[in-house]
Amino acid sequence: MPTVISIDPVTRLEGHLKIEATVDYVQGVQQVVDAHAVGTMFRGLETILMNRNPLDAPDITQRICGVCPVSHGMASSTALDRAANVAIPDNARIMRNLVLGSNFIQSHILHFYHLALQDFVEGPDMAPWQPSWHVDKRVTGGDSQTLVSHYVTALDMRRKAHEMGALFGGRLPHPPAFVPGGFTTTPRPDRISKFRAYIDELISFIDTTYLPDVATLEHYYGAEYSQIGRGTGNLLAYGVFDLDSTGQKKLLKPGRAVNGGNAAQTLDVNAITEQVSYSWYDNRTNNLRPSAGATTPQFPKNGAYSWLKAPRYNGAAYEAGPLARMWVNGDYQYGISVMDRHHARAREAQKVANALRDWVGQLNTGGAVHRRYATPSTATSVGLTEAPRGALGHWLRIANGKIANYQVVTPTCWNASPRDASGKRGPIEEALIGTPVIDVVQPIEVLRVIHSFDPCLSCAVHVMRPAEGAKIFHLGHYRA
Amino acid sequence: MNISRRDFLRLCTASSAALALSPLDIFRLEQALANPAGPSVLWLQGAGCTGCSVSLLNRVAPTAPTTAADLLINTINLAYHPNLMATAGDTAVAVARQVYNAGGYVLAVEGGIPTAFGGNACWAWAENGHDVTFADAVTSLSSRAAAVLSVGTCAAWGGISAAYPNPTGVKGVSTVLGKATVNIPGCPPHPDWMVWTIAKLLTGSLGSLDEYGRPRGLFSKKVHDICPRKDKGETKTYGVDGRCMKELGCKGPDTKADCPTLQWNNGVNWCVDANSLCIGCTNPTFPAQSLRKKEEAP
Repeated sequence: MPTVISIDPVTRLEGHLKIEATVDYVQGVQQVVDAHAVGTMFRGLETILMNRNPLDAPDITQRICGVCPVSHGMASSTALDRAANVAIPDNARIMRNLVLGSNFIQSHILHFYHLALQDFVEGPDMAPWQPSWHVDKRVTGGDSQTLVSHYVTALDMRRKAHEMGALFGGRLPHPPAFVPGGFTTTPRPDRISKFRAYIDELISFIDTTYLPDVATLEHYYGAEYSQIGRGTGNLLAYGVFDLDSTGQKKLLKPGRAVNGGNAAQTLDVNAITEQVSYSWYDNRTNNLRPSAGATTPQFPKNGAYSWLKAPRYNGAAYEAGPLARMWVNGDYQYGISVMDRHHARAREAQKVANALRDWVGQLNTGGAVHRRYATPSTATSVGLTEAPRGALGHWLRIANGKIANYQVVTPTCWNASPRDASGKRGPIEEALIGTPVIDVVQPIEVLRVIHSFDPCLSCAVHVMRPAEGAKIFHLGHYRA
Repeated sequence: MNISRRDFLRLCTASSAALALSPLDIFRLEQALANPAGPSVLWLQGAGCTGCSVSLLNRVAPTAPTTAADLLINTINLAYHPNLMATAGDTAVAVARQVYNAGGYVLAVEGGIPTAFGGNACWAWAENGHDVTFADAVTSLSSRAAAVLSVGTCAAWGGISAAYPNPTGVKGVSTVLGKATVNIPGCPPHPDWMVWTIAKLLTGSLGSLDEYGRPRGLFSKKVHDICPRKDKGETKTYGVDGRCMKELGCKGPDTKADCPTLQWNNGVNWCVDANSLCIGCTNPTFPAQSLRKKEEAP
């Protein structure tokens, strides 16, 4: 008889997530046969932005997420630049990239060591590392001790990545320097030399610690976890880190991969819609493009189970994140799985870190950082970029000099989305299917799949009740 | 394999070069081993963005706890924290319940409390098969807490989450509980403000709070009054070093915080030194209806 297991809260991610998974025996192996990803919070930031001064958008939208605020600042100021047809100075483009890149490194280190690693390695005998689920922790002896001590080292490294970004961003999280028309900080020589010292130390950490630690994980878990958690096989990236003023050349270009195909396909923003059949929003807002989107909460709503909308590309579910970016750029195409997501994220950290070292040398210490910005009275615009955990878009409409509509589609909306109108699962839901589960009371395998996507749910989210009569196992028994 | 508390210390010592641990740090780690775990802290997250927790991890200072690791290992017993705890689901909820039963813990709340939709715009967890709204979780756990900390402007007064038109009816913690909390505002709060308050609380030397529940020891001076750009001439455009930005909407004259002297991220910068504005993030009125003014020709 199938068992429905429920994990609420799913910890070690940003925001509120609940997972319900149905577990059954298939060909003698106990595994996940169905799953619902359920966000547990709705904040309505898009509604808060209505009728506000457009100049407030970067400050407000950064506060959607304390882990990836820089990406929201980038998307928002880019949308505003484009709304007014402003070309920002090269110094501004470079400093925006330096702060965003610093936060990519911060977030990737935080994710591997502090959010994901405890699914594989036992922490020390104290809170917050204990209690834990004592299941299938294969890393032994010296390897285990090394990884645990690197947890502490990595706390310092992610802090230093934030200090590096704050040199230009002003502070982190929630840097104030992202404004339409460019950037506010001047690239003083003392800031440039401090940035260089930080990036050299972080490159060394990534090369000599982070990448080898992922290899250690591969050694113990790779055979299985390169086969687990594939998901839809569809990958999508908007692209990020403009290399010139046109925005046409990027360090990580946009594109799609369909069903694991190696050749990147083009991305047409107009093919993106948001579906709400299973979300707590008015069905009259179903399948709208974000440019014409609406956020009209309806709670309760029959059949709905999440505060998250379901973004789709030509009606199909796509995974966003470092693996998607590295795949469509041809940097990593070995596979789509839990282990591949960790590999791609670490390699992307290395690629971005090396680029930062080049870019900081391109700053012109006497050059302009900003062009005076005049808010247009009427405009529509979009700002597409990438958060550490995937594609991020801000769609904006200005009327009478005020924000008339603002729609944000976050990467975790793509990854943790509920079913769409046709009943197709979101990427995390799909990735859970077939995941073997040793112990339904401590389903560590489920956490490994979820965490590999680095979910970040502050954007919106929640709620699913299992079908009437389903048997619920409440996970875990605390042993004092 | 399990690593004991003692082994963990040895590991930290072995990697002390990478950690830059001084002999004093090692001594403190050893002291911690001789003592039982510090006071328990339950850290809950509601309608917010996790930015307060991320900021806390940026702690670095010459005085103990010198880093986030030091805080976790030697100062407090962080029994419940959604981002950091190893366990999940019912086991995690059981930890919170066990600490609650023992009483005498510090309840730190990050994020505001939604009250619209019957509180269902944010659930803390499921317990005994029932979804528990964040409002109910905070109310329940506050009853046996030695102190309740409202961490960040959302928890203190609603903040960004409660901005007009406040779509989910977010309120600050003290409003929902109907009693005073210790408020550590900021969007996010500086890590030193959080650590200072926790340390003072544990040693019984917090001092008085102002009319908004903020420790006077932290929030007594206005940003503008201690700003190095005060009386230095004004700019009406961004990207200009050294000039006062009142004309661009800087909230420094109305905002109590020590950012100009403390600075952010290990002292590398702060909002005004980055030629941006103080947007008044420690104020009960944050975010104001217009955070920034339009630029004028110089």
